[in-house]
Amino acid sequence: MKSFRIISGIGFCCALWLNTPFPFVVPKGFPPPIYRFQDNPRTKQGFELGRKLFYDGLLSKDGNFPCSSCHQQFAAFATYEHRLSHGYNNQFSFRNAPGLFNLAWEKEMHWDGGINHIEVQPLAPMLDPHEMSEELNHVIGKLKKDKSYPALFNQVFGSPGINSQRILRALAQFTASLVSADAKYDQVRRGEAHFNTYEQTGYILFQQKCASCHREPLFTDFSYRNTGIALDTTIKDFGRMRITGRKEDSLKFRVPSLRNVFLTFPYGHDGRFTTISEVLEHYNSGILTGPTLDPSLKKGIPISANDRFYLMSFLSTLTDSNFIQNPLYSDPKLKGKIAVPPEDSH
Amino acid sequence: MGQLSAKPSLITWCIGLIFFILSSFQNAVPASDAQMIIHFRIYVHGEPLELNKLYKNPFGETFQISRLRFYAGGITPVYTDSSIHLTGRTTYHLIDLSDSSSTNLLIPVRAGICHGIQFLLGVDSLDQSRGAQTGALDPALGMFWTWNSGYQTFKIEGYSPSSTQPAHLFAYHIGGFRNPYNTVWKIRINTTDDEEFRITKENKIAVEVPIELDYFFNGQTPLHIRDIPSCTTAGLLAWKISGNFVGSFNGITLFKSP
Repeated sequence: MKSFRIISGIGFCCALWLNTPFPFVVPKGFPPPIYRFQDNPRTKQGFELGRKLFYDGLLSKDGNFPCSSCHQQFAAFATYEHRLSHGYNNQFSFRNAPGLFNLAWEKEMHWDGGINHIEVQPLAPMLDPHEMSEELNHVIGKLKKDKSYPALFNQVFGSPGINSQRILRALAQFTASLVSADAKYDQVRRGEAHFNTYEQTGYILFQQKCASCHREPLFTDFSYRNTGIALDTTIKDFGRMRITGRKEDSLKFRVPSLRNVFLTFPYGHDGRFTTISEVLEHYNSGILTGPTLDPSLKKGIPISANDRFYLMSFLSTLTDSNFIQNPLYSDPKLKGKIAVPPEDSH
Repeated sequence: MGQLSAKPSLITWCIGLIFFILSSFQNAVPASDAQMIIHFRIYVHGEPLELNKLYKNPFGETFQISRLRFYAGGITPVYTDSSIHLTGRTTYHLIDLSDSSSTNLLIPVRAGICHGIQFLLGVDSLDQSRGAQTGALDPALGMFWTWNSGYQTFKIEGYSPSSTQPAHLFAYHIGGFRNPYNTVWKIRINTTDDEEFRITKENKIAVEVPIELDYFFNGQTPLHIRDIPSCTTAGLLAWKISGNFVGSFNGITLFKSP
């Protein structure tokens, strides 16, 4: 056991020296990340391997559903314009695919927080029969038989072999690297730009009405709350209660980040709100009371038509164009080009 | 994208290397100077269980077991001298009835006088949240819940005409590590009358840990296959069934290794 650890330690060090280090830098003003890159040191080669896997249909049963089929860069890695995403065998996913960014700061993932570590997150869509519908050992087998992967894994991890941990760590090198911190909002914070008067008025309203849950700078406090939405009787999704088994958690869902909110429509855990206006109107007039309703929403949040205009002006400053156009995050098969939304994506 | 263009410095490297070396020391296997053999044995009314063979449970329900697996972590003797402590990361074993190399284990231990053994049934909450792991905790082994992260504590599957499920299958996939429905238990089994035994460097002690499935079915929560043919999510029922499994671990038997 001890000698194994020493050998694997040497392999680990070799892997580090053979690869180009790619240290993760925390954007100014962001808290320390949750994900410990020191346990999975980021290298250029590791990141590229994760990126290749993220865009490879080989991870799905029929080859048609790479991670990127539901997580599209032009939609800040949500599914563009879809309430529910499409998976294997003409099936719908169970929930609205969230955007993928700033995941290194998330302690838990999914709308119900069921995933307790970013490295094990890909197992959920990969093995879900409605999504990628694969089996882990099949994926490992396919990767081992592939022309390019064995050499890439050997290079990144310093010894031959492909196992679940290596696949998941490579994917985490990519997904934890998806940092969105260069929206106009960030540029204003850094003193590089200024809000116009609409945006500024919206920002003040935002701080009064929204920021207690959508806390800056990540625009979520990572809590689970019932925002007074009705149960969809066909999906029967009780949110956090599915994970904890506690009645008190019924209908509670994760507070989503509002970064890139203009790109991640439709909204809500099941995508029931098509536009931001609808969401704002829900807080203004649509809240259903119930035993687990968030105490801060008992009286709703008064949002006038004017408020809505200003709030949307502010929310538009959370769109990070540099993030969605960064070739570093795009499909490596496009060789630096960026995919754009299809005219008809159905 | 500032964070992606940063150049690595030699200092970053050195710090990384020091961290790595320190962390590998932390993870080192605790000093052990002897070995112990553990045999996990499953019984039905005192007879060794064979997979896919028909038995009757205490309620008269016919059943056969096709799969029985559980996690045992940090297996150590209970030392009479309480000053002997083992430290370090818990080592886990996935005990699988279909694989005799997993039911008969050679465990590194410290020499000393003992009167029992202890281990964790299931995976500790800290080890449930460490991300992608290998060895016994490799998610490819099929014991990891992917939509509600966590390792199942044990899995018992089989066939029973009493089951109302398709093909008369029954399945107890028991997991959950959060209170109040934590299915991970510390198990400590003393020898009969606390009889002491000595582990030395020369003398490998072998211990049999019997698991009597009669108590699994007829435990604190009577488990009629007709009423409860499956439990595959964490919660109150899983917690109750885990208690039954704990109750099926009985006194250990000692014998010297041949």
